Amino acid sequence: MRKLIATLKKEGLVLLNDKVGLLIMFLMPIFLVFIITIVQDSTFKLVSENKIDIAINNLDEGNLGDSLVKSLTAAGAFEITTYKALSNKACEALISKEKKLLVIVLPQHFSRDLTQKTSEISQKMLQEFGVVEKNKSSKHLAINNLEIIYDPVLQENYRLSMSNLISSYLGALENQTMITQLYQEMGYDQVPVDLMKLMMKNNTKIVQTPANASDKKMIPNASQHNVPAWSIFAMFFMVVSLGGNIVKEKSNGSFIRLKTIPTSFSLLLMSKMIIYLIVSLLQMVVIFSIGYAIFPHIGLPQLSMPDSLLQLVLVAFVCALAAISYALLIGIYFSTQDQANGFGAVSIIIFAALGGIWVPTFVMPEFLQKVSMVSPLHWCLELFYTLFLRSGSWMELAEGISVLASFSAICLVFVYIKIKKQKLI
Amino acid sequence: MKNQPIIIVDAIQKKYRNSAEFSVDQVSFEIIKGEKFGLFGPNGAGKTTLISMMCGIIEQTSGEVHYFLEGTEQPIAKVLTKIGFVPQDFALYPELSARQNLSYFGSLYEIPKNELNSRINFLLETLGLVHVADKKVATFSGGMKRRVNLAIGIINNPQVLFLDEPTVGVDVQSKMAIIKYLDYLNEQGMTIIYTSHHMKEAEEFCDRIALIDHGKLIALDHLEGIKTKYEVEDLESFFIKLTGLAYRD
Repeated sequence: MRKLIATLKKEGLVLLNDKVGLLIMFLMPIFLVFIITIVQDSTFKLVSENKIDIAINNLDEGNLGDSLVKSLTAAGAFEITTYKALSNKACEALISKEKKLLVIVLPQHFSRDLTQKTSEISQKMLQEFGVVEKNKSSKHLAINNLEIIYDPVLQENYRLSMSNLISSYLGALENQTMITQLYQEMGYDQVPVDLMKLMMKNNTKIVQTPANASDKKMIPNASQHNVPAWSIFAMFFMVVSLGGNIVKEKSNGSFIRLKTIPTSFSLLLMSKMIIYLIVSLLQMVVIFSIGYAIFPHIGLPQLSMPDSLLQLVLVAFVCALAAISYALLIGIYFSTQDQANGFGAVSIIIFAALGGIWVPTFVMPEFLQKVSMVSPLHWCLELFYTLFLRSGSWMELAEGISVLASFSAICLVFVYIKIKKQKLI
Repeated sequence: MKNQPIIIVDAIQKKYRNSAEFSVDQVSFEIIKGEKFGLFGPNGAGKTTLISMMCGIIEQTSGEVHYFLEGTEQPIAKVLTKIGFVPQDFALYPELSARQNLSYFGSLYEIPKNELNSRINFLLETLGLVHVADKKVATFSGGMKRRVNLAIGIINNPQVLFLDEPTVGVDVQSKMAIIKYLDYLNEQGMTIIYTSHHMKEAEEFCDRIALIDHGKLIALDHLEGIKTKYEVEDLESFFIKLTGLAYRD
């Protein structure tokens, strides 16, 4: 017991004296969690809360272009500046110089084309209802496209969401025009005001409900993903500190000296595991506390903690054990610190990318989703998702826990084989 | 008991994997209790391999090492508390202070706390490290690190002390301090097995000298015996006579 306490004390002191290692272990994930959460949250707010600064170059000779501008303005999602008859070059200049995110160009015959399109549909409907006689042939019109000129740095998903938003208003305008035409064809001057109001106001709302077992509805947001994700990344990035520490002891002769001292090498490894396990759990406590207590004060969504503290502790423990076992494996198998740090860091970055730390795995191609299963970080993240977003049961956690426990066991078996081969135990 | 062998090296051989030749080849000798035994040879002669096998760090390919530290033969695992080893590398924790290093290695021998503290203080005092006892070893000069390395090797007050090139890369002052302290330890009854390629040190320090080259023991005797037998003035001439002038890697 005294040997264990002495070794734990030594490991603790070595770690405390490794200021750079401590900075990497604590400050790096804190910075990452702040920066990535702020970036993701502001991207979300840019679409959902902030007004997007756009321009409309309205070349339309009719009045439907103005109607579209009016409804887009009324929607409140855009800060719109309207221009008439700008050239393409001038539109591009609005993006490069005026910092508009995009410019919508309404073509010259926008109203004519839209009216003809809707007229064709309303005519067809009236023919089907037998209100008017069927024509022999109907003329299909080539419709000029509505063009969006965008800043090339604008991300595709962001561009698509704006394009969809504009499409929905365009669709509403088409419907409105079509109904107006139907009424006119049937001899009415205009659509009754009540009906028009009803059509515009009585939209079906979409209520989004996260599927989880808890009464406490945890809404997925930037904090719910980033806080656990970067805590996991930090735990695994410990490979640089722990792996390097083992390689250093191997190369400076400390391991050799231990062979001439009545002590067990496994005691040394066990002490390292205990100390780094404490460090991992501390990392998690610090990062989670920031997500819970500090995020709301700086305008970021607060981290919602899961219902079961026991489940959280167990999941944190299993993840930390996997991270430490991997670091031991790297430390034992590599012979120089450069090799261990280089391979260790790069492998963790690859595991993180595959595991969905940066980009969720569901957006990856199918084969990559299968490959992501080899990343221990994927399983760690899944466990935290199950806890934080799905309020999962023990049964739901069992698969991830088993996979990570097996991963740790495999790493430790390889560590054992190597040190046995080197006659260290 | 005088002239009692406490370690017998018997036809020991070591061949490393991927090596065509033996690094140590059929070497046999005895270590007598209380002597200062010098193991000398050029670079790559096999000194470190031999001393590593003697203190159980690496396993020999064939042959045996017998330990009689308590009179009867005991396996290496049983004598670990009674031997000390000072490796050529600074086998210590540079992030820790000299005192913390000594305290850690001393605790592994399960030396009672009070006794350990007084031993640490004594060693720090004797080896001139008191003023830097609580400073990180990483900030020490080469000579100071060598002295800490030595202090760790003797923290358990061993009966037999193995030293692998303990004075390499240190200034004359540190070298003299180390040799002087080793002499003191030997006077207290400690058996010392010492490797070096400094012939001057061997002349001044060792009772018996073994010369090893290409893994083979090529000479073993007292200093005077060597001088007479090989008709040389000093050990350096003896060394050159037996090992030649060709470069060794």
